[in-house]
Amino acid sequence: MSSSRDDFGIAFRSALLQRGAAQKFSLISLIILAIIIFFLDTYNLKFMNPIRSVINDGIYRVSLVASSPSRFLPNLTEGITNLIGVKNENARLKKELEIYKLKELNVEYLTNQNKNLKKILETDETLFEKNIILSKVLIDKNSPYLKSIIINRGSQSGILKGMPVMDKDFLIGRIVETNYLSSRVLLLNDLNSRIPVTFGKNGVQAILKGNGGTKPVLEYLPEGYIVEEGVDVFTSGKDGIFLPGSPIGITTKNKEVKLFSEPSQLSFVKIDLAKKRKEDF
Amino acid sequence: MIISKTLRSLINFGPIILLYYLSISEIDTHFENFFEILSFNIQLIIIYFWVLKRPEVLGNGHIFFAGLINDVVMGIPLGLSSLTYLAVSLVATYVKNMTVNTRITTDWFTFFIAILFSNLIFYFLIINFSDLSISFVDISYNTFFTLIFFPFFWFIFSFYNSTLLINRYV
Repeated sequence: MSSSRDDFGIAFRSALLQRGAAQKFSLISLIILAIIIFFLDTYNLKFMNPIRSVINDGIYRVSLVASSPSRFLPNLTEGITNLIGVKNENARLKKELEIYKLKELNVEYLTNQNKNLKKILETDETLFEKNIILSKVLIDKNSPYLKSIIINRGSQSGILKGMPVMDKDFLIGRIVETNYLSSRVLLLNDLNSRIPVTFGKNGVQAILKGNGGTKPVLEYLPEGYIVEEGVDVFTSGKDGIFLPGSPIGITTKNKEVKLFSEPSQLSFVKIDLAKKRKEDF
Repeated sequence: MIISKTLRSLINFGPIILLYYLSISEIDTHFENFFEILSFNIQLIIIYFWVLKRPEVLGNGHIFFAGLINDVVMGIPLGLSSLTYLAVSLVATYVKNMTVNTRITTDWFTFFIAILFSNLIFYFLIINFSDLSISFVDISYNTFFTLIFFPFFWFIFSFYNSTLLINRYV
């Protein structure tokens, strides 16, 4: 019994401390280093911010280059499709559909806004002033746990944490991390995402909560409220961060919302700098 | 001669290159378009296999740095992936020290212990010490599918190990 315990101890100690020709670092030293780095980063110590920012910018750029082969194949397929002529037709049809969708959304948005403006708006007029910049999606690694993308604009372009990010006119998420040349966008379907929304003729208020899947869910609804399917959901602007009335998606069964913008198909996004303008004032 | 030397060293560095590439590139291991819950962690399989079979190929320092890179790309606190990778490496080294010759079944079972241990560390640290929240169910699915895919990669890596890799230390 004691011999087997000794064996365990020896093997475990050896595993932790072992170093050799190819192992320049012992496991225990690296584990301690990783724990220190983890706590320094988690508790957001000030001196870590510029370091993290530089590391992030560097790695995002390298990641973009490293990912080019994985992008090559879809591009090649797209090229072949283009040759056949299907792509053009598809694009034309998509464009037409987009115009119709936008028209429909605009009508519904204006109707709802007129009805509920006084009720749902507690924000000042400066929020309506738009100052939008376009950004390219650098990395959209589909993590099993976190849903986020990296864009090629950072604090250099005036981006701040919390700014809303749009795909066309649809809200897709918000900035959660800014570096000098890049930023991370937390998508609406991420488990950590919470957005105040409004929908329906009565301007029902709710929180749209990401669930890690493709369809976020509506929470904090009025007691006993039954969500109808096919109702458009908009931002309410209650948090003072998002512009009120930005279309998000359409309600489906089980209080879920099907997003207008497919999170896995993002190439370019728009960032609304309106919040910064407000802060400047 | 020079070409064959370069090629040989490139083959020897294959597992390291693959580990770094998977950490830094946006190649997905979450196939929600095919099956919503299907996701697995190839990095853990690479680390476990090569530390167990040929530790001289995959140094602890490389495992640590690959983890740091993965943290940046994934947007999780720095050091977290390094810790989980090193936890897998620790179990693999322990198993290597305790056993003489292993088969796929024993490797598979010990790999289960390794990923359970590392994913528990991952979950515990992220839930208790960071602002992020992740679903325990997602982690469980990831652990399950990583375990399921282990034999598939085991055969590929064993083939690579036995036929292509040239032992630099013999």
